[in-house]
This record gives sequence, C-alpha cells and structure tokens, in this order.
Amino acid sequence: MNTREKLSIVLLILGVILALLPLTGSRSLSVRPDRLLLEALDEKSWFTVDQVARFVATEDTSVQLIDLRPAEEFSRLNIPGSVNIPYDRFIDIAPGTILGGSNMKNILYSNGDIDANNAFVIARGLKIKNVYVMKGGLNEWFNTVMNSRFTGDRISARENALFENRRRAGNMFTEINSLPDSLKKKYFESKHLSAKKLDGGCE
Amino acid sequence: MDFIRKYKAILLIVIPVIILVIFRATGTDHFSTDAQKLAEPSFSRSNIIIPGKVSQLSGEKLIINLGKDVIKHNFEGATVKDISPDSILAKEYIGMIKKHEGPVFLYSSDNSISVRLWMLLSQMGIKNLYVVSENPDPESLKYEFRPDTTVRPES
Repeated sequence: MNTREKLSIVLLILGVILALLPLTGSRSLSVRPDRLLLEALDEKSWFTVDQVARFVATEDTSVQLIDLRPAEEFSRLNIPGSVNIPYDRFIDIAPGTILGGSNMKNILYSNGDIDANNAFVIARGLKIKNVYVMKGGLNEWFNTVMNSRFTGDRISARENALFENRRRAGNMFTEINSLPDSLKKKYFESKHLSAKKLDGGCE
Repeated sequence: MDFIRKYKAILLIVIPVIILVIFRATGTDHFSTDAQKLAEPSFSRSNIIIPGKVSQLSGEKLIINLGKDVIKHNFEGATVKDISPDSILAKEYIGMIKKHEGPVFLYSSDNSISVRLWMLLSQMGIKNLYVVSENPDPESLKYEFRPDTTVRPES
C-alpha cells in the first residue's frame, strides 16, 4: 500500500466520523438522562423562601444566591447577596462562574418558577452539582417574607422565630434595595464593619 | 480477502471506532449536542402555553398528565396519558413521545416539575413540546417594591 492509498483511507475514515458526529463548539449536557431525572425530581433540590430568608438574615457564607433575571431587573432590586447570571446566558456563563466546594449552596431564583427550574436542569446536566432552586421565586419571596403578617391571638415560639426571620430578611431586602447604587457597596462594607465590632475583632 | 489481510491492523482499529460513532450518533440514552440551541424556546418562553390555547395548535395533541390529580380542563380532541414523572424515561413512554407527530403537552399542578421535565426531554432532542401553565405570564413580578428613602448606610 503506497502513501497515497494510506492517506486516502485515513481521510475517508475521518470523513465518515465527522459526518456522523457534528463537532461544534457548543456545550451539551453530559450526565445520563436517567441520572438527571432523579436529580430533577429530588425534593432536596428546592429551598423554601423561609429557608432562604434565614440564609439572608444570618448572612450565611456557604450560600450564594443567583438571580437569573435580566440585568436591568437585577439592578432595580434583588435579594441581598445575589449575583446576576441572566438566564439566556446561563449555559455560557454558569460553568465558569458557579464555583465553590461541595459545601457551597448556589440557589437559583427568578421572578417565578420557570427560568430557575430550567437553569437547574441545565446546571445539573453540566455536572454543576451544588445548585438548587428557591421555590416560587421573587413572587413567593414578596408574598411570604415581605408581606408577612401575623394575625392570630397567640404566637408559638416556632412561629415567633419564623416571623422574626422574615422580618430581618425583609428589612435587609428593603434597606439594600432602597439605596442608590453608589451607596449599596458602602452599605455592605458598613454592615461587615459593625459585625466585626460586635465580635470584638480588629478593623 | 487480500484487502482485509493487507489492511488488518487499520481495520482492527477503525471498525470498532466507526461502530462506536454510529452507536453514539443514533443512541437515545444520552443528550443531544448544542444545549443552547435546544433550550432556545425556554428563553422566549414560547414553550409555555395556557390551557385555553392548547386547542389552537395544529396536529394531534398528546397531553401528559404528570400529577396524580385528574386534569380539570377539557382538552377536546387530545389524547391524555397519565405518566408519573419518575417513569417518563421508560422505554414505552419515551418511545411514544418521540413517535408522536403532533404537539406534546406536559401538565402538572406544580409547574416546577413540568418545566424540569421539559428541559430534560428537550435536551434529548424532543421537539414540539410544551408546558401547560395556568399563569399566562409566570415570570412577571407581581409585586411592587416601595423603597424606604430614609435608609442610609452606617458611617
């Protein structure tokens, strides 16, 4: 077999392979569908707004909130501590942006349930394990946390803790979102300074 | 035979590779390429449809009821199939969905489930798939935020 024949065979084989496997620069989900289905139906993949409110109120550093709405909506208001990854750019941006070890919880939210749950499947399909969804989105946040009112005669200790949690998270939400952008950064810095003073730490 | 003997070494490598490539290209137990393209209907939410608009789509309609409750809407002319979410990838059901020629609608009282399954099935290359939602605009913010203008950061 001469060189020309060998080269012809190699090119023919490459051609067959390329014809069957379109090579693009785009991403595809790499987890098996049956595995992804289990994750999609796992009830532990959702957090309630009360759970998220507690994370916000305690400034839990093992939690990262991810706002999937467009940038202009995010800049108008967002849950304190959130970062913005617009949903239509999620596939491109998320793999290089969502980091943290297995003890980090990345909680996705949008205004409702649609975008966050779509993004969840994409993330888990791209093997980004530590993502979750805030159930009900910002609409549920407003309904439960911001508009929280106790109407009974007596309040149990558990209810009291719940309402106190909502109040603190709601106050933080109001405070940070009431500030003009230039003052928002200063707000976070002053909050961290106050916390250090309480701990007796150095400035 | 001379050909096979002559190119035995090359064929021993190439034939298994081609078989694997064909298997990969035609198999159904993995996701299709280009996740961005397959997710596109979800960016514009053109995959979300209210019950009243289901009948306006052309073609034989298949409604997949993912919940335990009976569907409260009357989808005239549509075939309704009850499938629990954890069984959706069973061979008989996934085959039925793939072979169905008209639009397929995922129905659940919990939008979260039907949306997740929409994305999963779409990423497997299934097209003409919709999520039935009672809310025509599920991603609009229903509340107005009133800023507190007295807020100032501590100095």
